[in-house]
Amino acid sequence: MEFEILARCHTTNARVCHMKLPHGVTMLPTFIPVATQAAIKGLSAQQVEALGVSLILNSTYHLNLRPGTEILKEAGGAHRFQGWRHNLITDGGGFSLVSLNKSARVTEEGVLFASPSTGEPIMLTPEESMAIQHAIGSDIMTQLDDVVHTLSVGPRVSEAMWRTVRWLDRCIEHHQKSEKRESQSLFAIVHGGVDPHLRDQCLDEMIKRKDRVAGYAIGGLSSGEKGRTLIKQCADKLPADRPRYCTGVGFPEDLLVCVALGIDMADCVFPTRTARFGVALTFHGPLNIRLKKHAKDFCPIDESCPCPTCASGTSRAMLHHIVTVETAGAHALTQHNIVFQARLMGGARGAIMNGIFPTYLKKFFAEYYGQAGYPEWCVNALNSVGVDLLEGKPDAKVVPGDGAQWEYSDTA
Amino acid sequence: MVETSFQAELPPSLTFSPIALADLPTFGPRLGQIALHRQDGSAHLEISTPNLMTATSHGVIPHLSRDHVNVTKAIRWVHVPFESFLSHTPPIPTLQPGPHPIHRFLGYDPSQHIVSMSARDPFDGRDMPANGKDFISVYCIRGVRKITPNMWNSYTSACNPDVVTALSDTPFTPPPHSQKRITKSIEKSSAWLTDILQAQSQQVLAQGVSEHQCPDISVPNVRNVLVHMAGSVTIQARQAFANSLLEKLDNRDAEQLAPLRTLDDGVAGYVFDLMPLRAALSAKMISTSEILPGLERGAMSVIAPNAQQQHDTPELSDLIQASLKHLPVTKPRLVNSANSPHEMLRLIRDVGIDMIDAHWAQSAADIGVALDFYFPTLNGSPTAIQKCVGPRVRPNGKADLGHNLYDIRYARDHSRLAANYRDALSSQALTGNSSTPASLICPCPTCSPTIGAPAYLHHSTVDHYSFAADSSPAQPSNFQPPFTRSYIHHLLHTHEMSAHSLLVMHNISVLDAFMAGIRTVLEGPTGVEEFHKHVEDFVNCFDEDQVVFDEAKVDWAGVGRARGKGSSSREEIKQALGTAVAL
Ligand SMILES: [Zn+2]
Ligand SMILES: [Zn+2]
Repeated sequence: MEFEILARCHTTNARVCHMKLPHGVTMLPTFIPVATQAAIKGLSAQQVEALGVSLILNSTYHLNLRPGTEILKEAGGAHRFQGWRHNLITDGGGFSLVSLNKSARVTEEGVLFASPSTGEPIMLTPEESMAIQHAIGSDIMTQLDDVVHTLSVGPRVSEAMWRTVRWLDRCIEHHQKSEKRESQSLFAIVHGGVDPHLRDQCLDEMIKRKDRVAGYAIGGLSSGEKGRTLIKQCADKLPADRPRYCTGVGFPEDLLVCVALGIDMADCVFPTRTARFGVALTFHGPLNIRLKKHAKDFCPIDESCPCPTCASGTSRAMLHHIVTVETAGAHALTQHNIVFQARLMGGARGAIMNGIFPTYLKKFFAEYYGQAGYPEWCVNALNSVGVDLLEGKPDAKVVPGDGAQWEYSDTA
Repeated sequence: MVETSFQAELPPSLTFSPIALADLPTFGPRLGQIALHRQDGSAHLEISTPNLMTATSHGVIPHLSRDHVNVTKAIRWVHVPFESFLSHTPPIPTLQPGPHPIHRFLGYDPSQHIVSMSARDPFDGRDMPANGKDFISVYCIRGVRKITPNMWNSYTSACNPDVVTALSDTPFTPPPHSQKRITKSIEKSSAWLTDILQAQSQQVLAQGVSEHQCPDISVPNVRNVLVHMAGSVTIQARQAFANSLLEKLDNRDAEQLAPLRTLDDGVAGYVFDLMPLRAALSAKMISTSEILPGLERGAMSVIAPNAQQQHDTPELSDLIQASLKHLPVTKPRLVNSANSPHEMLRLIRDVGIDMIDAHWAQSAADIGVALDFYFPTLNGSPTAIQKCVGPRVRPNGKADLGHNLYDIRYARDHSRLAANYRDALSSQALTGNSSTPASLICPCPTCSPTIGAPAYLHHSTVDHYSFAADSSPAQPSNFQPPFTRSYIHHLLHTHEMSAHSLLVMHNISVLDAFMAGIRTVLEGPTGVEEFHKHVEDFVNCFDEDQVVFDEAKVDWAGVGRARGKGSSSREEIKQALGTAVAL
């Protein structure tokens, strides 16, 4: 991996970076659409790249179950298998395993679980995680981590953090010995729950291993105020010459806050999943296309959006007619939402390059939350990096808590 | 009358030109050209026949996003059943502003797609409440609705499709139907055809005025009216309906419909919906007391034709011939719901059908079948090319029409979908054989994907580092490797919607190549003779029982059940088939 910082925001910790991997260049900050099973819902690889996306995520846990490493190797890796020419990142497998498989049990050796198809016990070790990701051939691999519930406290959090550090060593060891050590890059995952002290210890340990780690993921943090304080703590301490990746972040407001705190990349199923529930993301807040008010609206989701859905003039009325009934409705919203996220992050890159990122933040939040009120945690998080969203807006409404009273709901 | 002469000057915008008109027989295979010249001067479209029509559900081609529709060149004629829009009054597409409202609302390109509209989905054979004196029962997501000829005239007028099927009184109450019912059906269908033709001529008059006053106003087409040939499975009834089209109009109608002398003068083509015919035929054959499992009509049969239903083409051909016997041979003949390429070939051979819907090929994609057949079957079939395994050969010696990609045998099969068609990339790489006939390449975006179409979106000033200014997609170097059987096998078993998108584009393209093969044979100097021979070869070569469909159906249902989505209600199955996978 070649990694170069092209520009820094003069106020916040945001930056624009040029990240060169075996399958091309990805400009950071970026949002990573999720192709869990080697497909972004309903789309082909060519359709995804046409949207201006150069990095997608595959799930190590899922691809190991199906099609399995043997078939992936035969097919020439996951790139060839899914027809994807650009960069690919995989997770370590720990998070999906623990969140999807009730039987998963963590031991020092690895994570023990029952195969969902045969029920036979399987052990996912750090070495095995590396081997699977080598078969996948992802440009960025992630270490196996010991995942605990987001809000856990107590000795289990510390145990998991220290184990994650030990597993990082085993991942590094295995990867360094493999012939893939040049072509694939390994990311560490910073853990430590919501305990700043543990986070600090974890950062110290992982930074010690910097020479053999291409980048850092920040794991196990929920959205909301506390999580963001910890993200800032991590981003501040992580070496500047390594990319910083925040897992599971996808709400637009959240993405921009993370960028301001110094995060370079983030992945989430949110934009594609919410599309299947009929929600279109816009700069004026999300639209639930299933609501009756859209039935006779012949405007596209967003006149200025270059996505295939809006550019071809698909009206909200048409989407209302087919959404959740025809798969084509989901495809149309998925294309739009991926482009929305790409525009949001592309806008951030451009603003940082031009030295106007604070203005970009203010404009985004004013448009997105103008009516509904600013989420307090966003106001605070951005204050911590020198941007006051409320500056010159004495009448602005601030909503305490995590905000987001949107049409995100899937029960409308 | 002045108006009359004005009307007479307006040519019908849809024309059909059979080739070799001089000795065109009433029945028998034929070549032709359908041309659409819209009155507003927008693109002029031509379709060589025999050809296919793409079926839609809720107005969209199932599983295809708009960019995929536009790059699938086999999609030229799109048929839109309108009933799904009747959940709102007035139906939403009728409110669409701008020219070509139905194209625009649904995202079809007037310069690429002919759009036709019928009230009912020709494939929906479900039992329905009886039609009334002046309405038919239709189905939408909120239940049964009524539609009258007046409503149909106003909806089609507002939507302005290129082609409209007149309302037809086809009974969807459980068969058999009494003679009295069939007689009524004929009378009403012909009265409703009169209605739409009258509305048409009134619109032409209005149009003449508006054109005079404001030449820039968007001019609606003279809609081309197709008639569904009524009479069910009674030969005499079908003949009677056809005769009613040819009767000289009585005074009152003649005045209103001038310059038409007969109803047939106003008809642009003849439609045959096979679904209700098959239902009535099977009711005729079995006593109503013993309904065999698997023979119930309706949504289940969407999945795959049942063996019992398959070889009824001769009866169907007789019925269609009864309608066409005295009608002009110079109008296009359209068939909906043919259930195999074998049946398509027989309908072309025995009747001379010009357009056939692709529903069969499209629904194969719903159940994970990748089509792989060709016409004419070549001596020493090309299945051996490139280590790409051809379709399974059954104990009866006949090959499957495609591959059930759910089958475990495809888990490690990393070849392209069809053995009978190359992909563009590997075809290019064939050294010294750059002359692979284009017809042997599947041009679909699954087998021959291209990149950079139309252009990558850039989202910031630094995005050129990721996506350099791309050359045009027409560049042959932009062809990518085909999507493989193993990949689609994986997508099917992981319930990924992309499986169906990739299969639909391929299957429609294979059917398109099949039609092109038919035309190529017919173009030969002894085309008709050759065609008969090739039809025999095809029937001997490919399995008409479609066992592969039944197997796929079982796997499809099994994967659904494994996911806890098993359901038995017909509506749910139809829903599931519309989407094939849980959203
Ligand atoms: Zn859009
Ligand atoms: Zn193909």
